[in-house]
Amino acid sequence: MFAAVSSVALVGVDPVPVKVEVHVSGGNRGLHLVGLPDTAVREAKDRVRAAVASSGFRFPNRPVTVNLAPADIPKAGSAYDLPIALGVLAAAGLVPHGVCDVVALGELALDGAVRAARGSLGAASVALETGRPCLVPASSLAEACLVAGADVRGVRSLAHAVAVALGDADGEAVPATTGGAGGAPVDLASVRGQAVARRALEIAAAGAHHLLLEGPPGAGKTLLARSLPGILPPLGPDEALEVARAWAAAGRHCSAPFRPPFRSPHHTATVAALVGGGSGSPVPGELTLAHRGVLFLDELGEFPGQLLDALRQPVEEGVVHVARKGATVRFPCEVQVIAATNPCPCGFLTDRRQACRCSSRALDRYRRRLSGPLVDRFDMRVEVARLAADELLSRPGEASAAVAARVAAARARQAERGALNGNLNRDALDAAPRTPEAVGLLRAAIDRLGLTGRGFDRVRRVARTVADLAGADVVGADHVEEALSFRGPA
Amino acid sequence: MSRDDRLRLAFVGMHPARRGALTEKYGSAGAVVRAVESGAEPVPAAARAAALQSPGRLLGVLRDAGVRPLMNGDPEYPAHLAVLPGAPDVLFVRGELPPVPGVAVVGTRRSTGYGRSLAAAYGSAIADAGWVVVSGLARGIDGAAHRGHVAAGGVGVAVLGSGPDVVYPPEHRDLHDALLSGGGAVVSEYPPGVPPNGWRFPPRNRIISGLSAAVVVVEAPVTGGALVTAAAALDQGRTLFAVPGDVDRTTSRGCNLLIRDGAIPVLDPGDLVEALSLVSSLPRPAATRNAAGADPVLAAVGASGCTVEELAVKTGLDAADVLRRVARLELAGLLCRRGGVVMRGR
Repeated sequence: MFAAVSSVALVGVDPVPVKVEVHVSGGNRGLHLVGLPDTAVREAKDRVRAAVASSGFRFPNRPVTVNLAPADIPKAGSAYDLPIALGVLAAAGLVPHGVCDVVALGELALDGAVRAARGSLGAASVALETGRPCLVPASSLAEACLVAGADVRGVRSLAHAVAVALGDADGEAVPATTGGAGGAPVDLASVRGQAVARRALEIAAAGAHHLLLEGPPGAGKTLLARSLPGILPPLGPDEALEVARAWAAAGRHCSAPFRPPFRSPHHTATVAALVGGGSGSPVPGELTLAHRGVLFLDELGEFPGQLLDALRQPVEEGVVHVARKGATVRFPCEVQVIAATNPCPCGFLTDRRQACRCSSRALDRYRRRLSGPLVDRFDMRVEVARLAADELLSRPGEASAAVAARVAAARARQAERGALNGNLNRDALDAAPRTPEAVGLLRAAIDRLGLTGRGFDRVRRVARTVADLAGADVVGADHVEEALSFRGPA
Repeated sequence: MSRDDRLRLAFVGMHPARRGALTEKYGSAGAVVRAVESGAEPVPAAARAAALQSPGRLLGVLRDAGVRPLMNGDPEYPAHLAVLPGAPDVLFVRGELPPVPGVAVVGTRRSTGYGRSLAAAYGSAIADAGWVVVSGLARGIDGAAHRGHVAAGGVGVAVLGSGPDVVYPPEHRDLHDALLSGGGAVVSEYPPGVPPNGWRFPPRNRIISGLSAAVVVVEAPVTGGALVTAAAALDQGRTLFAVPGDVDRTTSRGCNLLIRDGAIPVLDPGDLVEALSLVSSLPRPAATRNAAGADPVLAAVGASGCTVEELAVKTGLDAADVLRRVARLELAGLLCRRGGVVMRGR
């Protein structure tokens, strides 16, 4: 009178196999649920009972014990309804035991229909590892199909699930993939003028450099930032899976995450919303939703210092650690940060036509924020000027596709060396080949432009990317000169 | 007075006021030189030794240092300086001294960044208008003014308080070289090798104003060389301009006093050029422009600066090229960046 169905729990973004064990015995009737269930899981009792009855089966009039093993991992959500129901049916002898030989996940409606639930991506991963078919709600099919090689079958109802598990029916057809994470990016062709900012964007994309855009309101900083994902190379299957997992952990579906995500959290966001956390089981924040993509911080100067400080270490390490009683959860967050800021709170500090209205105190505070430890990690700073009339009337710029091709070529050169330029540390930079003229220029820059040690590294990283875009193996004086223009204040 | 005696007297390198007084007392340069020789007039041993050299030997020293002596009355000696009382008898010149008066841009060595950027902008604007910029190659305002005209590809004259071959301060060596290669001149009334003693600078200032039709004081406290130059300018009948500043800022107090006493206040570089065009003794030549074409980016920056984006539009060069040129000019000290705006000077 025992049956066990596989399912999945998420720890951080990582799927962990869970066994749903069902035992039907003699004695008092009732359904007992053990194994660290949360409220939603506890309520499965009533949904399962109704769904089983609605699907034409007679719920066993005997005591049923359900254990979610391993018992020490907290389980959350309504996704265990389907495996519990299958286990109950098998343990009570109402269907053949063969239905248990699957990895199942899904919420049950009272009429027996299967609804979408979190974790189908993880279920598919577990299914692949265990070599079993995977039953997921039809509406979560696209997400689960990202796991290449897994035998994923979409099911509509409990009865359909039983038939599919026994091989008596086919799963739902896989829907066509559409959309991407964070909406379609802006095409660079729609950005008029801004030759320098476009060049900066191309270099930043090619080397995965964090980029700070500075300029008065209305200069087009946001538009430029939004066009960045469109010139980044598309994600590979493994990267796309990571993105989908990160999104799934946040309870969000990302059906075709082959385009790098673009996230733009507002400066009033909480620390938890930005880096992840929350009460109970931790949920990934915007930072993790931007994993393998772009995190855009608009109005950087308005972000409270505490938010910027919270971002610094994760951005540097590519992973967020959220500590909770008993366990620390890791959320991946390899992001490219692009930030935009006005030169001062009113925005007109550097404008030569309009006077700045900021008090000196406000200016001081603003500057302090823009010179914090996070901003120090920006390899590139570029000023975006307001366009003159003839620039606004100029013909459209180069389209994203053309820029993306150059970016892809530069990325390929970096892949051969093994690391993205934006991640090069000092030792790697010291080892990079460069011409004697380039060395002389760097020395002059330290002497005459007051370049600091960290600024020196930033210039060298960007120079490496400029060289890669030019198809050069050795960093030359031209490349260093261009990189110097993006160094920002010393 | 023989040319030889005048040259030997100039090589003594004494204070111009004393030299003037002694010439009057003894009646001629030759008599003064003989009094120095005999020891009747006490001078430092080195100065005496210099005066004892034969004229041929002295000319050899000048040749070696690349210096030409111009004597008051020579056709090449600038007429606008020659007519002034107290004009140096001998002027030691390196480079090409323009025959026409220029515009002096002077100010304190302890200047503010604001003052320096203005001085550079004025230097550029004056050069762009085709006039010669005259200053003293000193730290602060003087240096910035020179950087301005060098950046604009204009001609400048530096009047030194040391020998014409002694570059002081040493960090202005590159500026000095750029000034000479840009077709300008370095002049001094002191012979080659003379160190920059403090007492040599105030008399030098009368030459700065003397070589100019107008003097612009950018930043000056109530004491200091800039006001000496201003006073000399008024004595010599030159038009005096001063840049107004905060009334309680020490570096602007001298300028504000000059304005109170009648100097013409200067606003932006365009305003200065407009006011200067009314000064009748200034020529209107385009001939003083040096032929060596400046970098297109440098030319496009203009006197009041612009953004990198504007440079790309103005020059029509591609963005990467503009960025490289800006960095190169920045390293050369010809351009600087302030809050997103590229400006001439450093």
